[in-house]
Amino acid sequence: MERRSFIKLGGASLASAVLGSGLLSWVPRSEAATISKTFYITGGTITMPDGVGVYFKGFSNSATGLNVPAASIICQEGDTLSITVVNKLAVTHNFVIGGLKPGDPVLASTGDIASGATKTLTYTIPTGKAGSYLFYDNKTTYNVFLGLHGGLAIMPAGKSNQLYSGSPTFVKQQFWIFNDIDPALNSAVQSNAVVPTTFTPRYFTINGLTSLPPGAAGHGDPTRDALYDTRTRLAGFVGDRTLVRMLSAGMCSHAVHAHANHFEWLTDRGTVRSSVWKKDTLYLRNKLGKIDAIFPFEAPPDAYPPTTHGHFPMHLHDEMSQTAGGGMYQFGSMTEIEFL
Amino acid sequence: MGMGNACYVYPGAPATPGIVTPDVTFSRGIYMNGSMRFDDGNSVTIWGFTDLAAGQGQADGMGGGSFPSPAMRVTEGQIVHTKLTVGDMWMHTIHHHGIEPSQENDGVGHLSQDVTNGTYTYQWRPKNAGTYFYHCHTNTPLHAEMGMYGGLIVDPKPNPADPVGTKRAFANGPIYDVEAIWAADEIDPAWHNLEWAAGTCGGDVGLNNLNPKYFIITGVDGKTSALTNPGVAVNMVKGQTLLVRYICAGFHPQKIDFGGLTASVVASDGRPLPTPWQTGSIEAHSAERFDCIFKPTITGTWTVTISFYHWRTGAVMGTAKTRITVT
Repeated sequence: MERRSFIKLGGASLASAVLGSGLLSWVPRSEAATISKTFYITGGTITMPDGVGVYFKGFSNSATGLNVPAASIICQEGDTLSITVVNKLAVTHNFVIGGLKPGDPVLASTGDIASGATKTLTYTIPTGKAGSYLFYDNKTTYNVFLGLHGGLAIMPAGKSNQLYSGSPTFVKQQFWIFNDIDPALNSAVQSNAVVPTTFTPRYFTINGLTSLPPGAAGHGDPTRDALYDTRTRLAGFVGDRTLVRMLSAGMCSHAVHAHANHFEWLTDRGTVRSSVWKKDTLYLRNKLGKIDAIFPFEAPPDAYPPTTHGHFPMHLHDEMSQTAGGGMYQFGSMTEIEFL
Repeated sequence: MGMGNACYVYPGAPATPGIVTPDVTFSRGIYMNGSMRFDDGNSVTIWGFTDLAAGQGQADGMGGGSFPSPAMRVTEGQIVHTKLTVGDMWMHTIHHHGIEPSQENDGVGHLSQDVTNGTYTYQWRPKNAGTYFYHCHTNTPLHAEMGMYGGLIVDPKPNPADPVGTKRAFANGPIYDVEAIWAADEIDPAWHNLEWAAGTCGGDVGLNNLNPKYFIITGVDGKTSALTNPGVAVNMVKGQTLLVRYICAGFHPQKIDFGGLTASVVASDGRPLPTPWQTGSIEAHSAERFDCIFKPTITGTWTVTISFYHWRTGAVMGTAKTRITVT
């Protein structure tokens, strides 16, 4: 039942496996910079809420850790990304930054990284590329499902509070990266067996974790419980408008449903919408779908007596995603929204 | 944590904080032994809510009731009470989807309570006119699939400048004459033999895998019956304006195609759009709502087709059809 404490890696410590990057913090610069990062492609077993161990791969912060998803990266137009990827596994992988829109070529790629090899991707971000991106492994169609993915936020040059130049403004920002896991796939990859041609996902994560409801082991632990994970949970006072960069790394489409406020829906699959709709439910496509939306942190409009406080869920409304192992409702892809 | 064979449930029926005299009250019981019969003659068990004030009874959960559950209709600004009464054999909540009340009145079990052995009064005051729905939020994959949902419409306050009886989608929104509520849903019979707390204590009961065999519109089989059922199919006169309130009530994504008619989509999820969207079809996912205005200028019959797509493969699993007939 205990999610992250079951990570099994040779000599891996819990600390090395836990990613606690929290909200994306950002201060714009007048000068471009080089953003350097080293990822290690690693593998390991993570225990699902029903006790089943599932093999994952990740772009990890250390050679002995496992980060699923990878640590997110934030930068601005004009910056140069210098990303070094060390392949610690036995098979060839790669690292690509996906395009902004469906059908767009990848922004950049390391090319193949053989077992034991290291490659460095260098990419200077041109103007006009502001937005939310998924970096992942596209060496196979399924490597992204195994955990080899992470979020890249490119800010408009000189902006601290806009998704794109002139967009509605926000005061905080974060990623929600969704994944859907069929352990039969992961097991086949781990054992070098024939990969299934059809999948039935049994676990559903947001930023690599499932929710653990009150009464469950680990409930309230921000390193294990998606309800409390600081990378995931929305927490703010009225007015703390929060940009959420939603990325689908998984195999299923999802309906992202917020309680307490309607989202302001800014983009769909990388395209800026012609007008901002207010929606309580957003259609996040599979096959690397993405949405940018602002949770406005307005007082819940229909409360009587009025209130500015409370705890509410954000969950996927395709309710199969709220389960683990075919049951265990509330152990799926859900987080919490807290009005402080 | 558990109660009987249920785990991770949060039983209670406390007093409502800050309760006041309401403008309108809905009294809901539950039923756990209803049924729906499909065009092929097969049927499945359906659960739902009843209207206790209308004498539908069944606070003990036995017996059947209407499917979808009785609709709620209120006017923006009213203080509303939804009183949910549940016996001690079950737990349920009512979440007014898209309505954004206080935590205590949001109907989410782990953040308030799963109602059992008593009554909880949800207090809320809708600010925005539009199309919503209500559903149970206990063991939600199962309870919503079993049918525990109903329509929820918030009308705008009447405009004093309008003739009495004028119907608008929202304040200063389009005026309509004819209204249809299309809640499109899919049914997997394999799920309809489970008990109310199935899977909550662990074990694989298949709640990750919905493989529907039937596709329905507002409780009517979309294979044939919904083409003519008077509660679904629209019959209108040329010159009238139709408002279709489309609710994606299933769990898989859908596409509604209006068969050649063009919708002017004026609102979604209970909020007016900045500018109406002219379209012949809409792709939607679970729980999205779209308010669609039609002003046919010719007589005729149009077949509306709702396609249900598998959430992973994108394959069409089935369709449900109804008609708009203009004379």
